Amino acid sequence: MMVAANGIWQKNPALAWREIENETVIISPAESVMHELNDTGSLLWRSIDGRRSAEDLAALLAEQYEVSARVALADTLELLDELSRRRLLITIESAPVEDAA
Amino acid sequence: MQTYAVLGSGVTSHLDLVVGGLPLRLCSEDSELLSAATRRYDGFNATERTPFSIQVDRYHSPQGCGNEFLCEFEGARVAADASSAHFSGVQHEYALDSLLRMLLSWALLPDVGFLLHAATVLRNGKAYVFFGRSGAGKSTVATLSPLGSVLTDEISLLKRIDGQWHAFGTPFWGEFRAAGTNRSTPVAGMYRLSQSPDDRIEPLRPAELLKALLPCVLFFSARTADHERLLEILTLASREVAGYILQFRKAQTFWEVISS
Repeated sequence: MMVAANGIWQKNPALAWREIENETVIISPAESVMHELNDTGSLLWRSIDGRRSAEDLAALLAEQYEVSARVALADTLELLDELSRRRLLITIESAPVEDAA
Repeated sequence: MQTYAVLGSGVTSHLDLVVGGLPLRLCSEDSELLSAATRRYDGFNATERTPFSIQVDRYHSPQGCGNEFLCEFEGARVAADASSAHFSGVQHEYALDSLLRMLLSWALLPDVGFLLHAATVLRNGKAYVFFGRSGAGKSTVATLSPLGSVLTDEISLLKRIDGQWHAFGTPFWGEFRAAGTNRSTPVAGMYRLSQSPDDRIEPLRPAELLKALLPCVLFFSARTADHERLLEILTLASREVAGYILQFRKAQTFWEVISS
């Protein structure tokens, strides 16, 4: 699956996560799996709010890390795709993954 | 100690314990099970006001004892709320022990505490917490430490009290086959164990310590809110306690690199 540049994303509400030293640790309680994000991943994760599109997120990335808009968008789409495949993100049109509790 | 374990069927008796400063009361009609628990948790007996009440039954039965924490282990089940719990399907003391670990991992959250696969050794009035998964060397560290200095060789309990982290002994056994010691000591540091031909120590940044701790934490809740709380507690510990990787060979010399 490849995500769309104009897609809108939100964090899966079933997850627990914490940012520390510009890194993010995400726990999926239902699967007892830990995921890690580096500083650029953390910037995007922090900025995913159910309103910003992939293009908006890429603009933040380009501004923060001084990369071209084209590179920032490609990196953003790749990360969103990866996070989506791991069920850490959902599109706002989709139903949330249910909390195992 | 409040133990009345030699009683006939239909009579409820109880065993009072304190683990990690948390008062617990095991109540059961099963005198055999309570007798086994009395032996197993010897040294952790204490009577405190308003203990967390745990009803222990050999068989499953409908009990209205909360559903804030639900967990199962090999046919045995724990259901708990903020002040009481029901253990059912407890056929032997090992099942009781497993359910108690599960419950504690959750019940410690309000007290800013957690259970960790770790051996804790006391030295110069401080607790050195050596953590790692099975086979990492926890029991080796305990075996190489002076008699009487081992707080626990398998499961450590860490708790933040008045802004300072303390390590507690627990009654959960490892290869030492001897219960831990029921006392607490301020934590000097947390050491991720890694066996190596040389003794070496490397500091861990808080983020690295958090990621090293997570796979070694005992936690069984499936609720997102509980995991958020656990992450909050572990992040606090990672920022406030010095963390290291300890590469060590199976010799007492590892203390030299820690001291240096």
